[in-house]
Amino acid sequence: MQISRRGLLAGAAVGGGLLVAWSLWPRDYGVPLTPGRGEWAFGAWLKLGRDGVLTVAVPQLEMGQGISTLLPQVVAAEMGADWRQVAVEPAPVSGAYPNLPLAAKWAPLWMPLASGLADRPDDLVARRWAGEKGFMATADGTSLAAYERPAREAAAAARAMLCMAAGQRWGVDYEQCEAQGGLVMHGSKQLAFAALAEEAARFDPPDPPPLRSNPYQETATVGNPSQPVAYPRLDLPAKVDGSFLFGGDVRLPGMLYAAIRHGPAGDTELAGYDIRAGARALGLKQVVKARGWIAAVADTWWAAERALDALAPRWRTEGRADSGTIDRQLEEALTKGEARRILTRGDGDSNLGAPTVTYRYDLAPATHAMIETASATARMADGRLELWLASQAPAQAREAAAKAVGLSPNDVVLYPLAAGGSFDRRLEHDHAIEAAVIAAEVGAPVQLVWSRWQEMIAGRPRAPLACLASAWTAREDGTPQALRLRVAMPATTKEFGARLFGNKTAVAAREVAATGPDPLAFEGAGTPYGIPALAIDHVAVDVGLSSGRFRGNSHGYLAFIVESFMDELAGRVGREPLSFRMALLGHDPRLAECLQRAARLAEWDGGAGQSGQGIACWRIGDPEGEGPVARIACVATARAGEGGVRVGKLSAAVDLGRVVNLGIARQQIEGGLIFGTSLATGSAVTFADGLPAEAGLGALALPRLDDCPEVVVEVMRGDGPPADPGEIGAVVAAPAIANALNSAAGLRLRRLPLLSEGI
Amino acid sequence: MTALTVNGRPVRFDVDPQTPLLWALRDAANLTGTKYGCGVGDCHACTVIVDGEALRSCLVTVAESEGRHVVTIEGLSRDRSHPVQQALVAEQAIQCGFCTPGIAMAAAALLARNPDPGVDEIKAALPNLCRCGVYPRLVRAVQLAARVARREETISAAPAPGISAEDAAREVPAMNPGNKP
Repeated sequence: MQISRRGLLAGAAVGGGLLVAWSLWPRDYGVPLTPGRGEWAFGAWLKLGRDGVLTVAVPQLEMGQGISTLLPQVVAAEMGADWRQVAVEPAPVSGAYPNLPLAAKWAPLWMPLASGLADRPDDLVARRWAGEKGFMATADGTSLAAYERPAREAAAAARAMLCMAAGQRWGVDYEQCEAQGGLVMHGSKQLAFAALAEEAARFDPPDPPPLRSNPYQETATVGNPSQPVAYPRLDLPAKVDGSFLFGGDVRLPGMLYAAIRHGPAGDTELAGYDIRAGARALGLKQVVKARGWIAAVADTWWAAERALDALAPRWRTEGRADSGTIDRQLEEALTKGEARRILTRGDGDSNLGAPTVTYRYDLAPATHAMIETASATARMADGRLELWLASQAPAQAREAAAKAVGLSPNDVVLYPLAAGGSFDRRLEHDHAIEAAVIAAEVGAPVQLVWSRWQEMIAGRPRAPLACLASAWTAREDGTPQALRLRVAMPATTKEFGARLFGNKTAVAAREVAATGPDPLAFEGAGTPYGIPALAIDHVAVDVGLSSGRFRGNSHGYLAFIVESFMDELAGRVGREPLSFRMALLGHDPRLAECLQRAARLAEWDGGAGQSGQGIACWRIGDPEGEGPVARIACVATARAGEGGVRVGKLSAAVDLGRVVNLGIARQQIEGGLIFGTSLATGSAVTFADGLPAEAGLGALALPRLDDCPEVVVEVMRGDGPPADPGEIGAVVAAPAIANALNSAAGLRLRRLPLLSEGI
Repeated sequence: MTALTVNGRPVRFDVDPQTPLLWALRDAANLTGTKYGCGVGDCHACTVIVDGEALRSCLVTVAESEGRHVVTIEGLSRDRSHPVQQALVAEQAIQCGFCTPGIAMAAAALLARNPDPGVDEIKAALPNLCRCGVYPRLVRAVQLAARVARREETISAAPAPGISAEDAAREVPAMNPGNKP
């Protein structure tokens, strides 16, 4: 049945605002924004006040990546607004903001038995599901792919309505009016958005909205890395004076503070605690306990934390996570386990006989180590739960919290806050459930903050893995003609999906860790190279440790393995690693150009003669598809020195397609390269008897200012849909550094972090 | 009750005197700009200025702060006008912003005692952990702040909070409802 847009509009107008029909949905989710006095909603995205403030609702989590600037910028450019009039607020959980590309991509996770039905973003099944669930997760670099177009269409509709209002006043056709700098203009006449807001809201927008002919684009001036920023980030002023609120900064009347303890990693149950010693703790108000945790509620967070010391909880833990066990299980799965084929290209590895060369690569579990620990504030009153929370998947967090306290999700209000870093850690929401349970039991507003130790003991690190990389190479020049990766690792994406969409506990979710295959854990396994035959095998294994999403995800480990291996293949036959790669990139000239430009930036010397230079490249996205593609090449200078790896310099050339905000793109690439460096030098967490050996941030060998490499980034002029700059930098640094160490001293490190083999 | 001066005002804390200054500031004084990241001195997100010196407030108790002058990010300036604040925004040396208050306080303490620090001094004065990776911009930002503090340069990157509608209307044509032909 065809639903008329006009009908949709009439229904929505009852709510008070006017819905801009930027797209046709199978269902009407209304206008989720509440305009203030003297302010009018222009659809689900925009509010304009008679004071001229244009507020853009952003349905994605700001966690440093700048999305709360990017989407308003898209709106401002399309609408012809003045950047100084633009304000931003987080959008509420609503079906009006479905992340369709991610819903389609993650269909195997929310619809494990029938995912083939919904693997394209325009599929009605994914659409309906994402709308009904309010699925607006921030993940996998999908923000612009999902939201640039709807934001533009909302802005174009609002611009048309403003022009209609001005045109009526002037007695001219609205299509002859233009909007620029927050003014509607016709000939010599002009009217401010502020003056037109109220009248404009009464018009019906044209259908379809009149988009400008080209989406907004910024291009780098060659040789000028510090060119002026056209759209400065909106969030920085509040972040520099302490007024920007994170989850732990909310203050409510009568609020109490909660600290929490989880038992050792494994299947843990609270066995007992010393209530008498706890009762003597200063400021303790209440103890709340569940099967796997105990929380103390007190006047200050520190008092709550001290009370937990006094309570000295005891645990009964089955299957304690242990790094020795993890290594043994990976070893056994790698050598003896039954593999499931993820991907075959050409003839795969059939009829090839024994490979020319096989090396083994290993990754230890890596922890996110964002500086903000899990924090949430909750208030339960009159049968309603309010949650102040930073979440990458707010609808799922809300649903889980609601279920934990026996409410319907409709009786839970989630106020989205920004995150103090995440790197995919905030795709999990254990702390939201805990805060809800504690607030329900205490009967007062409660703020829960995890200690750093809790992040270490109950985190969801990147899954550990072991990989045998094999190649069949041409006799004359060592060029790989077939490549096989046999990877033993938990089915980490399926496990994550069971937690996020199945609302399973960490222990219950691990039941799928040993059930392969997990294709989403191998995205990018096709490698950027034109190698004729490819075989990717997954041996799924439960290693007794819960794992989760992590910045870069599969690209993080696959880039390390493939790019280390490529360097070794070049080295075996004495070929120069840059031209060795170039020869396999004839079908991807853009990536080849990234390599050449990175080499020029770094004054690449071929990596020979103990120069300490290493090179790596990577690509995220499918050039054959319609989605965005990010490409990067990086030259690292590194040496093994006292106390570990010293990375001197990282030079990177990157192609992100069309760039929306060059300043943010540079920030993300720089920051990603440094995050990637932290994965090369540290970030590993090791377990003994269920307890992390690394007690906190100081034990993770994370880079600081004084050992941060010099970073040089060239953002190339690109075309095509805008790719996410957040992950590509983070995945290329570690292999470039590993290759640099090999060049420096012939030291081939095949384990991440590189330190873990002991230098 | 422990008496000290916070951001120029006398304050008495009615908390366990062994409470780290961090939690007295955050939970008793509601000065939440000072951040908790580790509680053991690793991350420096909780850096405040105590009698002119940048200290990690998680490692100082309220009792030890008695009678001392504490400045937090909220007290660095009334209107984001401190050169370090302006320079951090100008260089876009902020991403998630969680480590930013600690960095700003450490840099402000450095410039207060050394108006023209060298690169190595800047690196030594900023041991703060930043996971978003703004490091490549920090030395530039502190050098810019130093030049501004020495009045060799001016910047206005971060506007003051709480601009009135009238002022906005004067500055921005789009926000002036009286902007008619």
